[in-house]
Amino acid sequence: MKVIEVKKLSKKFRVKLKEKGLKGSLKSIIKPKYKEIKAVKDVSFEVEKGEMVAFIGPNGAGKSTTIKMMTGILYPDNGSIKVLDIDPKKDRKKLAYQIGTVFGQKEQLWTHLTPYDNFKFFGAIYDIPDIKVEKKIDELKTLFELDEFINTPVRNLSLGQRIRCEIVASLIHEPKILFLDEPTIGLDPVVKENIRTLIKRMNKEYKTTIFLTSHDVGDIEKLCKRVIIINNGQVVLDDTMENLKYHYLNKKIIDAKMKEMVNLDDEDGITILKDKGYNIKIEVDTNKKSVSDALKLLNPDNIIDINISNVPLEDIISDIYIKDDKQ
Amino acid sequence: MLMEVKNQLRVFGLSVKYALMREMLNKVTFITNILFMILNNACFIVQMLVLFSLKEDVGGYSFREMLLLWGMAAGTYGVSRFFFKNSFSLSDTINNGKLDAYLVQPKNVLISSITNEVETSAIGDIIYAYIMLFAYGFTIPRFILYTIFIICGGLILTSISVIFSSLSFWFSKSDAITERVNSIMIHFATYPDGIFKGIVKIILFTIIPVGLANYLPVRIIREFNINLFLIVIIVTILLIVISFIMFYKGLKKYSSSNLMIARM
Repeated sequence: MKVIEVKKLSKKFRVKLKEKGLKGSLKSIIKPKYKEIKAVKDVSFEVEKGEMVAFIGPNGAGKSTTIKMMTGILYPDNGSIKVLDIDPKKDRKKLAYQIGTVFGQKEQLWTHLTPYDNFKFFGAIYDIPDIKVEKKIDELKTLFELDEFINTPVRNLSLGQRIRCEIVASLIHEPKILFLDEPTIGLDPVVKENIRTLIKRMNKEYKTTIFLTSHDVGDIEKLCKRVIIINNGQVVLDDTMENLKYHYLNKKIIDAKMKEMVNLDDEDGITILKDKGYNIKIEVDTNKKSVSDALKLLNPDNIIDINISNVPLEDIISDIYIKDDKQ
Repeated sequence: MLMEVKNQLRVFGLSVKYALMREMLNKVTFITNILFMILNNACFIVQMLVLFSLKEDVGGYSFREMLLLWGMAAGTYGVSRFFFKNSFSLSDTINNGKLDAYLVQPKNVLISSITNEVETSAIGDIIYAYIMLFAYGFTIPRFILYTIFIICGGLILTSISVIFSSLSFWFSKSDAITERVNSIMIHFATYPDGIFKGIVKIILFTIIPVGLANYLPVRIIREFNINLFLIVIIVTILLIVISFIMFYKGLKKYSSSNLMIARM
């Protein structure tokens, strides 16, 4: 069952141009000049129920704009959006009952209140009777391990605890889809891992569809089975995580410490990434040269230490960004 | 529909309650804020005493009626600042993309965005307003009328703010206009309308409706007139409707923002 259908979505922003200095300011008052920025161009995709999708792209690619249009914050210029068969443009309120949002950079909790009072407030916003809210808080409290600080004012919580509360606050009304915009921004690795586990657990327990944006490759790799990459307002890749990695798995990175220097210039299928005399780092294209051939070139007797690895997902992604920019 | 209004009111009540709780975190500031506002308002009585020692009647107002006008001005201002404080910074909310949080909630965006803060000193204004009613002469009917008018006046002030702030959706900076209009309204509300003639008087009953928020109510309390009473009520409703229409028309042009924002 499809829960999100986005077709040929477009959004333009009008930005006022200003020349520098006071003279420029005066000019822009008398005769303002505008520039149109196409933030999102003909974006189309679909998401199935229960899926966990990573929606990624470099800064300014149009991620947030797209999410904002899907959640009813912004009006699209063109194209259609159906989220749970609801048009966010027409039925913003109706949709709001069904979806949850966590924007890592924007807080929705009242900082002087305890998480408990905050959750009760959100219960009221979603018209949930008190008894039901209390039951739900109890349930989520256990799932997200909030016991320790549920009665401490939010302003006294650590960032990790706060994000956990933000997520719980957006789950009070049992949304069918959860939009997470950089949920782990600014968190330490342990807390990040913790949040990821909780998101996974939630997806399993409630079959909540998750639509996530993040710059953290860990988030994407560990949570999502599908990736949509957007750059310059257009979808440049929409594939499973496995396919994405597989495409780039024909490349291996060899990092070696040598007894004697070797010359690998002009070798077909080998790119030298780093050459510091006895320490070299090369990329082997396994379509052209097998790893064993590459090792033979290095001469096993000559190797003191070696490390063979896949290309990190982070590099794969930035590679896609850069390639797209060049086109 | 009725259920929706009830739920909206419930959230409104909670919002005000929580915002008030935040202000009460610091007891000393909370209490001094209220007391000093009462004192501040009271200072103007001295000014009036001097004026009335020279002249018995200013613009058709006796000293007692002047007190009532003052109370009405403080009361309307107090109601709008206490319940709808953020309507005065709505331009900023729009320009900095702070409406996002309310847009993902299944409630009225305008109401949610203007009711999430309260102004403590406005409590002082409201208390002062009722002290002035006592100084004028307390009766139950006057009390009821006075309360209705303070609420209507507060809603008029708020609506005017929302209408001018909503211009921010089209011309990014309308906060200066909103601020000007607000301060003009407050300023004129403390003068007896008898001193204004011609075009100024027309403006005060139309574009800057101080006349409808303050002068007419005082006249009605002095001498009840059902027609004038209905005018005040109808104008209040009309302005509220216009403010909602303006805001929602503009909302389609809302462009959000990526600023880092915390709800403090």
